[in-house]
Amino acid sequence: MGAYTTQGFNMDNSGKRVVVDPVCRIEGHMRVEVNLDSNNVIRNAVSTGTMWRGLEVILKGRDPRDAWAFTERICGVCTGTHALTSCRSVEDALGIKIPANANHIRNMMQLNLQIHDHVVHFYHLHALDWVDIISALKADPKRTSELAQSISDWPLSSPGYFRDLQNRLKKFAESGQLGPFTNGYWGNPAYKLPPEANLMAVAHYLEALDFQKEIVKVHTIFGGKNPHPNWLVGGMPCAINMDGTGAVGAINMERLNLVKSIIDQTREFMEKVYVPDIIAIGSFYKDWLHGGGLSSKAIMAYGDIPDKANDYTPDNMLLPGGVILGGDLTKIEHVDPRDPEQVQEFVTHSWYKYPDETKGLHPWDGVTEANYHPEGPNFKGTRTKIESLDESAKYSWIKSPRWRGHAMEVGPLSRMVLGYAQPKKYPRVKELVDASLKQLNLPVSALYSTLGRTAARAIEALYCAELQVDQFDRLMSNIRAGDTATANIDKWDPATWPKEAKGVGFTEAPRGALGHWIKIKDGKIDNYQCVVPTTWNGSPRDPKGQIGAFEASLMNTPVAKADQPLEILRTIHSFDPCLACSTH
Amino acid sequence: MLAQQDALEAEQQARLVKAVYVYEAPVRLWHWVNALCITLLAITGYLIANPLPSMPGDASQHFVMGTIRVIHFSSAYIFAVGFIGRIYWAAVGNHHARQIFILPIRSRQWWGEIFHELKWYLFLVKEPKKYVGHNPLAQLAMFLFFTIGAVYMICTGFALYGEGLGAESWAGHMFGWVITAVGGNSQQVHSLHHMGLWVTLIFVMIHIYAAIREDIMSRQSMISTMISGWRMFKD
Amino acid sequence: MTETFYEVLRRQGISRRSFLKFCSLTATSLGLGSAAAPKIAHALETKPRTPVLWLHGLECTCCSESFIRSAHPLAKDVVLSMLSLDYDDTLMAAAGYQAEAILDDIKKRYKGNYIVAVEGNPPLNEDGMFCIHGGRPFVDVLKETCADAKAIISWGSCASWGCVQAAKPNPTRATPVHKVITDKPIIKVPGCPPIAEVMTAVVTYMLTFDKIPELDRQGRPKMFYGQRIHDKCYRRPHFDAGQYVEEWDDEGARKGYCLYKMGCKGPTTYNACSTTRWNNGVSFPIQSGHGCIGCSEDGFWDKGSFYDRVTDIKQFGIESNADKIGGTAAAVTGAAVAAHAAVTALARAKKKTGIDIPGGEK
Ligand code: HEM
Ligand code: HEM
Ligand code: NFV
Ligand code: SF4
Ligand code: SF4
Ligand code: F3S
Ligand SMILES: [Mg+2]
Repeated sequence: MGAYTTQGFNMDNSGKRVVVDPVCRIEGHMRVEVNLDSNNVIRNAVSTGTMWRGLEVILKGRDPRDAWAFTERICGVCTGTHALTSCRSVEDALGIKIPANANHIRNMMQLNLQIHDHVVHFYHLHALDWVDIISALKADPKRTSELAQSISDWPLSSPGYFRDLQNRLKKFAESGQLGPFTNGYWGNPAYKLPPEANLMAVAHYLEALDFQKEIVKVHTIFGGKNPHPNWLVGGMPCAINMDGTGAVGAINMERLNLVKSIIDQTREFMEKVYVPDIIAIGSFYKDWLHGGGLSSKAIMAYGDIPDKANDYTPDNMLLPGGVILGGDLTKIEHVDPRDPEQVQEFVTHSWYKYPDETKGLHPWDGVTEANYHPEGPNFKGTRTKIESLDESAKYSWIKSPRWRGHAMEVGPLSRMVLGYAQPKKYPRVKELVDASLKQLNLPVSALYSTLGRTAARAIEALYCAELQVDQFDRLMSNIRAGDTATANIDKWDPATWPKEAKGVGFTEAPRGALGHWIKIKDGKIDNYQCVVPTTWNGSPRDPKGQIGAFEASLMNTPVAKADQPLEILRTIHSFDPCLACSTH
Repeated sequence: MLAQQDALEAEQQARLVKAVYVYEAPVRLWHWVNALCITLLAITGYLIANPLPSMPGDASQHFVMGTIRVIHFSSAYIFAVGFIGRIYWAAVGNHHARQIFILPIRSRQWWGEIFHELKWYLFLVKEPKKYVGHNPLAQLAMFLFFTIGAVYMICTGFALYGEGLGAESWAGHMFGWVITAVGGNSQQVHSLHHMGLWVTLIFVMIHIYAAIREDIMSRQSMISTMISGWRMFKD
Repeated sequence: MTETFYEVLRRQGISRRSFLKFCSLTATSLGLGSAAAPKIAHALETKPRTPVLWLHGLECTCCSESFIRSAHPLAKDVVLSMLSLDYDDTLMAAAGYQAEAILDDIKKRYKGNYIVAVEGNPPLNEDGMFCIHGGRPFVDVLKETCADAKAIISWGSCASWGCVQAAKPNPTRATPVHKVITDKPIIKVPGCPPIAEVMTAVVTYMLTFDKIPELDRQGRPKMFYGQRIHDKCYRRPHFDAGQYVEEWDDEGARKGYCLYKMGCKGPTTYNACSTTRWNNGVSFPIQSGHGCIGCSEDGFWDKGSFYDRVTDIKQFGIESNADKIGGTAAAVTGAAVAAHAAVTALARAKKKTGIDIPGGEK
């Protein structure tokens, strides 16, 4: 395509092409190619989903009540969110209303997932883009302790604690077997943290690894396991029995107490570790506000966490939804996933086939037919040995979803900005965002950056932790009022279903807006289409040449060392890409 | 071969005695024990797959599914042991005892007689032929549905049973391969074993009908033969 | 580099006493009894850390997610102290060619002495390009990496059987690892995902005893996959009594009755869920009210609905279940027998009387 302008970016593929494949510390398989100009600034970005499994094809002809289990396996990282979305799509198609308890339990599980996913993403997949582990060896444990105590009253912060950790780290490094830290970009000038902050972050990397396994027990209690808990069309499978015989096998006081203690601890970890860490780290990267991409131009969320059961309208959602175009926070548009003109997917640059590829298809009429053809005039390599992709041809296993023709950014940043823009509805979001900005002494516009994306995720985790406590209280008061129903089985039997039906389920997955569209015919799935957060963010170009959120975010970023693409990783990771999700 | 021999035998003897000793005592005993086992297996098997409505009260007060399974497994053992005994008797008993195990598939005449029997059942011929042992069609049906069917039910059944006993058990060692052979997931073996129930049931329905009908229509004894061992020819 | 596991622990400030305690805990958690503890201790004192290369094919990454949930041992201890996780796309700091370089390096330096852990599986259709790794088919990377490995662990149902992407019609021809790598010992640890503590126990066992665990006919460690969920299910007394959940959220569901009628696949599923349970023993699917869906079994996606007790017989390409087909066939047979009997009776009556009874022509 040579040089052209789209969405305010000047695309120019003339400079030096740099390839990163595999992009590690993400879920799934992904490749990034960029062109650097003579100053090592990114002037063209190409992001590629490099895997496809065909879940939409596999789902055809199956029992709609089973679909949650299949779609749950789209991803084990955002595990459960697809299952919930799937249940909602089937319930929507068949007009099934779920009991209030099931709604609160589902909400808790979904919030729990948000938190877990955000924590693991930040500490274990993203932190190493900001934190130089090797530099932590030079830290003064005493000063590390002072730093830790100045930002939070988390108890694990004594000088001895950090000294101990540093000693272990030293010996680990000296062993020469660096394990997962081998060949990191240690010492790269793009790392800005002082050794003390690095050491504190390493401590929290390990603490978070221990802690994350506790958070998910909420899933285990209600869904039997994590990853991949169990769900049920029509409600939840976990019966409630507060004081009868056999209560020991059901949700009872002991189970609920366990849930309560976990969600209290979770909130504490968010308040005292995650958010303070982000502020502390952010304060050293205030000058590095690259990576905004589409966030100031086009953001979207469907909204989630219905307060009252079965009401999926925006007013009932505790996690914000809507669309903001052009950064105009005063104008929020409503997303209607049923409207054939709104959500559409294109495959012009994706390895799929449509009868007419100049047009997009609404997911109800969606088609998924693989068509691997990387060849194009600028393609280098062979079919099975790609050296350099051609973005003017087909170049990704990800489709290109568009909202009224616009490429959108979805995810925590979109949601937090949408919440911020609706302070009446979401006063707590505004409060949390303002507090963080104030601590960092940054304007709202700073949100539109890699750092903002990462901070929004932490803020959202805390917000979700608070909502989780709320939802628990709602569940308890409902049970106290004598309601113990968890499932509605009126339409369990396929004999009660109409001959044909269609529905849509949507949620806010950790990475953003998620929708499943289902068509049912004669009791079987006739068509099933998923449009997933990373499908939005990681989308390749569309027929108009518009770039997706990943690609946009890389544009115009200077790279310190071309052979150590730390900045590319940092910005791409800030989206928490999930490639298994994106292509499914 | 045998059928021909049967015919001869019948022809020779019928003139004189009008009754032939066909089924020796072990065969008759086995037949009725076997019939009982299969009936029990079919009923309990069906109830294993489609359990009765739930029992109220404490679990320790009941053993409904337990009992059903115990009956299934006891009948299964008797059925299997009986089947082995029947194979033994095929070796040492009279030549009729071998009929359900060995088909004279090379005999053109035998095939011809099958067609004749088929025609008889389709009302295309007026009179059936008379046989001392099984008529060829019955023989074929017994081999296909019963003999093969029994082996199939024993293999799939004991493969499932071996899962409960454990992979290290005799059944696990001897029949565990069945599960691997159908892809490794024993749910598949359940389905296949279950399918056998219906095949057996269909065989039994036709078998009993044919036995009674022949008894009436073919002017030779049937049911009483399986009780006394003697085949009586009514004319 | 030839540091032993014990040295690593000591370096990390772990006392000899707690090291020995760890050994006896390991012994008990592996069901070996305390007598085995000194043996474990000896093994750990004398052996160097083994490099592990963890590859990812077509997958959902929940095996990795499960792994990091391990409570005993903690995932961080496994990864940082017990073995050397030198390659794992999901966790490693490096990317791109710096990451690829590690694979080559370990292959050369530890020829025959590293373990490959595979999560997910390679697709074979489209020349393998449904899963691309460094611009090449994942299946090639897998084969090359396994070539000099000591042993291979197939994590989860994806690597072991194919799992969801291999469900019919398996559009990418996703293929389990043992069908691609045929000349190496492979330990299958199925489950979707496997239980965290089962995963870490298998690894610990291999490192401790320097051998692969005893495997069953299908290549799974007997210690965790030797029995069915149903054999050790705490709802089993209700199964035997004949007490079942008849409908979701009914009286039986609240009393913890058996989930057999709701399609529970516990009777056909080999896994440790009903004993080890999930997430440090908090619960397991059945305890939380949903039947087992058989997630550790080969082809569990294609055995009919998760809610059917009597499932489809896909082997014959039949969509319907045995009772539906069999019941129909039996009914047809019954009708045929009745009709045949009627015609027989008519024929017989006609023969006797010479008259066609119900008004037939003469
Ligand atoms: C004509 C003979 C038989 C018939 C009609 C029969 C029928 C059945 C049926 C319908 C089932 C239920 C299958 C399902 O899960 O859908 C069953 C289960 C079973 N049968 Fe048989 N069966 C026969 C012989 C045997 C034999 C010889 C054995 C050997 C031990 C056996 C052992 C079993 C076992 C172990 C089960 C599974 C029980 C459970 O899952 O609790 N069966 N049978
Ligand atoms: C579960 C039920 C039954 C089964 C599986 C069964 C099976 C068999 C088998 C395998 C034989 C061949 C015997 C041999 O050559 O060793 C046989 C013969 C026979 N059965 Fe049954 N039987 C059953 C029930 C009955 C009943 C209820 C009757 C009577 C109404 C009956 C009447 C006969 C007769 C008359 C023969 C001899 C047929 C002939 O000579 O061609 N059977 N049966
Ligand atoms: N993208 C994505 Fe997911 C999320 N969050 C799903 O919907 O991660 Ni696997
Ligand atoms: S086996 Fe299951 S859990 Fe593991 S990666 Fe595959 S789909 Fe995920
Ligand atoms: S709940 Fe499932 S595993 Fe447990 S006893 Fe019932 S059928 Fe067996
Ligand atoms: S569904 Fe899987 S997690 Fe266990 S109980 Fe069944 S094997
Ligand atoms: Mg899709």
